[in-house]
Amino acid sequence: MYERRELMYAGHQACAGCGATMSMRYALKALGEKTILVIPACCWSVLAGPFPYSALQVPVIHTAFETGASTASGIKAGLEMRGDTETTVAAWVGDGGTFDIGIQALSGAAERNDDIMYFCYDNEAYMNTGIQRSSATPFGTWTTTTPANHPKGQPKKNMMEIMAAHRIPYAATCTVAFPEDMMRKISKAKAIRGTRFIHIYSPCPTGWKAPSSLSVKIARLAVHTKIFPLYEVEGGERYNINVDPKNLPVDEYLRLQGRFAHLTDDEVHTTQETVDREWERLVKKALD
Amino acid sequence: MKKIMVGNHAVSWGVMLSRAEVISAYPITPQTTIVEELSVLCADGRLKAKFIPVESEHSAMACCVGAAAAGVRTFTATSGQGLALMHEMLHWASGARLPIVMATVNRALGSPWNIWGEQTDSLSQRDTGWLQLYCESNQEVLDTVIQAFKIAEEISLPVMLNLDAFFLSHTAEPVEIPEQSLVDDFLPPYQPEFRLDPKNPHSFGCMTPPEYYMEFRYKIQQSMLQGKAVAQQVDDAFGRVFGRKYGLIEPYRCEGADLILITSGAIASTARVVVDNLREKGRKVGMVKVRLFRPFPKDELLEILRQVEKVAVVDRNVSFGVGGIFAHEMRAALCNEKVRPAIFSYIAGLGGRDVTPPVLNDVIYQTYKRQEPEAQSVWVGMRS
Amino acid sequence: MPEQIIFKREEDMPYLPITFGSMAWNKTGTWRYLRPKFENKISPCIEGCPAGQDIEGAMVLIGKGKILQAWDLFKEENPFPAVCGRVCFHPCESSCNRGEFDEAVSINALERFMADMASRHGRKPLGKREKRKEKAAIVGSGPAGLTCAYHLARLGYGVTVFEALPVLGGMLRVGIPEYRLPKKVLEEEIDQILELGVKAEVNVRLGKDFLMNDLKEYQAIFLAMGNHQSKSLGIPGEDTQGIMSGLEFLKNVNLGKAVALGKRVAVIGGGNTAIDAARSVLRLGSKPFILYRRTREEMPAFLGEILEAEEEGIEISYLVSPVRVIAENGKVSRLECLKNRLGPADEDGRRRPVEIKGSNFFLEVDQVIAAIGEEADLSPLPKKLGLKENAVLTDERGATRQKGVFAGGDIIQQPRTVVHAIGSGKRAAIFIDCFLKKKKWEGLFEAIRIGEQGTLSMKRYLQAENERASLSSKTVRLKDLNLDYFDYKKRKKMPKTQVAKRVGSFEEVNQGYAEETAVAEAKRCFNCGVCNLCDNCYIYCPDVAILKQGEDGPNVIDYDHCKGCGICVEECPRDAMVMEEERR
Repeated sequence: MYERRELMYAGHQACAGCGATMSMRYALKALGEKTILVIPACCWSVLAGPFPYSALQVPVIHTAFETGASTASGIKAGLEMRGDTETTVAAWVGDGGTFDIGIQALSGAAERNDDIMYFCYDNEAYMNTGIQRSSATPFGTWTTTTPANHPKGQPKKNMMEIMAAHRIPYAATCTVAFPEDMMRKISKAKAIRGTRFIHIYSPCPTGWKAPSSLSVKIARLAVHTKIFPLYEVEGGERYNINVDPKNLPVDEYLRLQGRFAHLTDDEVHTTQETVDREWERLVKKALD
Repeated sequence: MKKIMVGNHAVSWGVMLSRAEVISAYPITPQTTIVEELSVLCADGRLKAKFIPVESEHSAMACCVGAAAAGVRTFTATSGQGLALMHEMLHWASGARLPIVMATVNRALGSPWNIWGEQTDSLSQRDTGWLQLYCESNQEVLDTVIQAFKIAEEISLPVMLNLDAFFLSHTAEPVEIPEQSLVDDFLPPYQPEFRLDPKNPHSFGCMTPPEYYMEFRYKIQQSMLQGKAVAQQVDDAFGRVFGRKYGLIEPYRCEGADLILITSGAIASTARVVVDNLREKGRKVGMVKVRLFRPFPKDELLEILRQVEKVAVVDRNVSFGVGGIFAHEMRAALCNEKVRPAIFSYIAGLGGRDVTPPVLNDVIYQTYKRQEPEAQSVWVGMRS
Repeated sequence: MPEQIIFKREEDMPYLPITFGSMAWNKTGTWRYLRPKFENKISPCIEGCPAGQDIEGAMVLIGKGKILQAWDLFKEENPFPAVCGRVCFHPCESSCNRGEFDEAVSINALERFMADMASRHGRKPLGKREKRKEKAAIVGSGPAGLTCAYHLARLGYGVTVFEALPVLGGMLRVGIPEYRLPKKVLEEEIDQILELGVKAEVNVRLGKDFLMNDLKEYQAIFLAMGNHQSKSLGIPGEDTQGIMSGLEFLKNVNLGKAVALGKRVAVIGGGNTAIDAARSVLRLGSKPFILYRRTREEMPAFLGEILEAEEEGIEISYLVSPVRVIAENGKVSRLECLKNRLGPADEDGRRRPVEIKGSNFFLEVDQVIAAIGEEADLSPLPKKLGLKENAVLTDERGATRQKGVFAGGDIIQQPRTVVHAIGSGKRAAIFIDCFLKKKKWEGLFEAIRIGEQGTLSMKRYLQAENERASLSSKTVRLKDLNLDYFDYKKRKKMPKTQVAKRVGSFEEVNQGYAEETAVAEAKRCFNCGVCNLCDNCYIYCPDVAILKQGEDGPNVIDYDHCKGCGICVEECPRDAMVMEEERR
């Protein structure tokens, strides 16, 4: 049922229960060995292993924080000049490197429609540096720079909409709780030429103050509470929702995570309203 | 074949002759015509390369890093602010041991806005692990591009060649265009030992802990030092093939001189005229053009300067709080010598101000006049 | 195992920082303070089945289309899947966790399906495991006796069955009508038992044709004569012509004897015998109606049977007790009845009927069939066995107080169902084996019991002790499952013969599943507590520490690298994994 070949080694340096490693494992199963990964500063810079070891069986280039997309563009051009049109060049970037510091380079590559895949594994804060807020951090979240008595006051940036607005051939959301959905989308994206954006919701037990055993459950709840809907956007316009959410109350999701422990009923209510509104917008687009 | 071309096009043609494979750049005055010409050369097929019109200089260098790691010859060009924005990636390129070549059209940095010539932009990058070469003429620019690739690929370090904004970049001169076949022989295709290759997967630039990091820095330093000899060999070889050579430094009429002017870039041309005039008048004045700034050609300079009484360094740059950067480097290079000249430091021509013969005459006059150098660099050509 | 790479000198290092080895040398297992473990537990269906069949295992096999292998699994525990698949009251389904979720898996129908399939393929159970010289006598050839015979024969013993009736099968043969259990189906399963070398003598009744003392040549005896004595109504006029017991009626019908019935037949009682009798009456062309002293709530008959009787148009009068039979010309003509109301609950929890004084009424009847229960005839048994309240006393092994004499089926104190009879027969076989081999049996009961209800497993009995030791004794409940992995799915219905067609004949009512339906139904099984290689653990492991061993498993844990995050245990849909504290 699943590709058996493992392109990620055991022994990597991730925290127990890390969603980013699950994401990487599924992605590589879908991408296969003819893949080059670009990893800018993010958790994966560390957990891929120190010199002279790698936790990955595909070539990797580690690069500066904001250069995920641009380095990938360069590699792709280089490979094409060497006559290799087959290898997938994939940027593997955290939410900070995507939503914040790397958004310019990403936008540039997307506008040029460079033939790269761009993965954003989103754990909703700067986890590698110790849980600081990013523009991917949701409303009301505790982080080390948004303390519980002054949690993040802004909603999460809608990165998918930004990417869709570039009218790239393919953009999709996926998460670790739905591996088949994820692998299907990555395989599909792999066959498309141009810039492809895959937004992976990757739970971080350490930064979310949740038990390591709940990473998959939390991801599943994110989908079923409509907090992180699973959908695809083709050509920036054709929306398709892939998993029907069970429409569970957001509280079921929020209460499993220490980063939301301080939320008042009003704040939970606000989150619910925002989620419902965003979901309706999405459904409208999918119906168009 | 000779062509009349501006310095920027000399860069572009050097890149074409070097058969760069990936070019990534962002426009900035006064660099723009380099990439305009390159995009034309790529578009009409004279240069078989990918031209990536990125959204920033930072991305330009990141693209080059990626492409070079994929195993191809890469080039970019920038100026002033663009170079400053690129700074982070300059370290990345050298640390990753990628032989990227970049042309910097030296431009003054803001604030306030200024688009004209000054070397503070490139000299601010002296600790990034890039070799730096400063050119005096459009011919030298074209030739240095070819040499730069050869040096870079030999020692796996990136090379920056510098040309003065407008004085070279936008000034047309006759330039001898080398034969492509000769260039091909001189500069064979780039074949790195390691590259990003799914058939032979390695991870490049992985987290390197304290127990190993320092050794990699040491290796860069060793390669950088080796770069001086390599640059010399490459220049010699270039001279044998193409009949033109420039040296790491170029002494001009230094025989028996009691005062030597140190210059770089386009100012050297002006200085030649000034020296000629003064020699005619019987003054024992010579000039040394410093072409290679990193690694710093200390021994070569010492060879010329050892017996001289006074050295006047003209810097079109400034390190605030210290003064002229070439002068500073000269002092550092000579400080352990028992017999050494007095170093007189002058700052001139910032932000594109003309460094005219009277300015250089003033430098020489002041140097003769003073027994000892001033404690600080002397600013010349100022409003009085 | 990949090794560490150490560069001793600067010159040995590459000129640029690139990797040369795998991180797999890094044994992240040392980070762990909790360790996951695969641990199969007990599915509640198996615990709920007195015959201890590996229902969960069979569901997996059926789901994969391996129907005959599923049947083999059942046959390891129970010689009568074709019978049980028709007449069992399927407590397995009442225990099924799926029942609490949506609807229980249709285990009973699947049991029948695989038995029918095995029959079509002429599949036989495994034969004797070894040959032993000891012999056992079995008195009674009902489900208890024949099950005991089956297992003892497979354990290698010589077995002789003594049956009072002219045919084998006990109540299965004479108590259950053809339309529920066709004779052919029963005979096939009995034949499979005889094929194992079991000898059978019919028309020999204990106490009449032979005595316990005549069985000296047998080293062990299993008593399972069943309850063949009907209880009497205890009302005036009961001895009138035209009144017979339900069992007697069914026995006659099943033995093919002519039964004269009038037009209107009153069947008294609320148990399965009453329903069977009424439905048989209908099929013989008379009009039956059932009188029951309590309400439908309290009826001991299986609900399915009651529903089918109702479908067939059989009238059931509730809260009615007969008080007198009124004869005319020496024959039954009227039945005087009283109306009841429900009073307080009995010891068994059912509400007791209380007669309403003066509510007498009369019913015109031609025939009365009294089906108010059966009991054992224990008169031929010596007192020293240990008898109490019309039952033989046994210990947890099914042993009586007389050495080497065991008892089971309806004559011991246990629910009087086919599957309990089968369970008691298997239990006796196991402990007769222990007895004959002089094996220590203390503690064995715990070791081979499945769950908490006394169900024993032949498979576990035959396993080596160390294999057994690793088995969990925890029964999985709905709360233990990860329900996120299960969707609501309706239970598949079994096709039935149309009512119009079935009232005129003894044709089997239930028609069994088609294969496609059966496979789909088996796939509804949650596989509670048992790894079915769904691979959730494998796919979700962030540390690539669950290793696949080919497609048929089992999956194993790479403890060198497992960090003990617990995702595999959390995401196991079926509670087949546990977390334990790491002991170092």
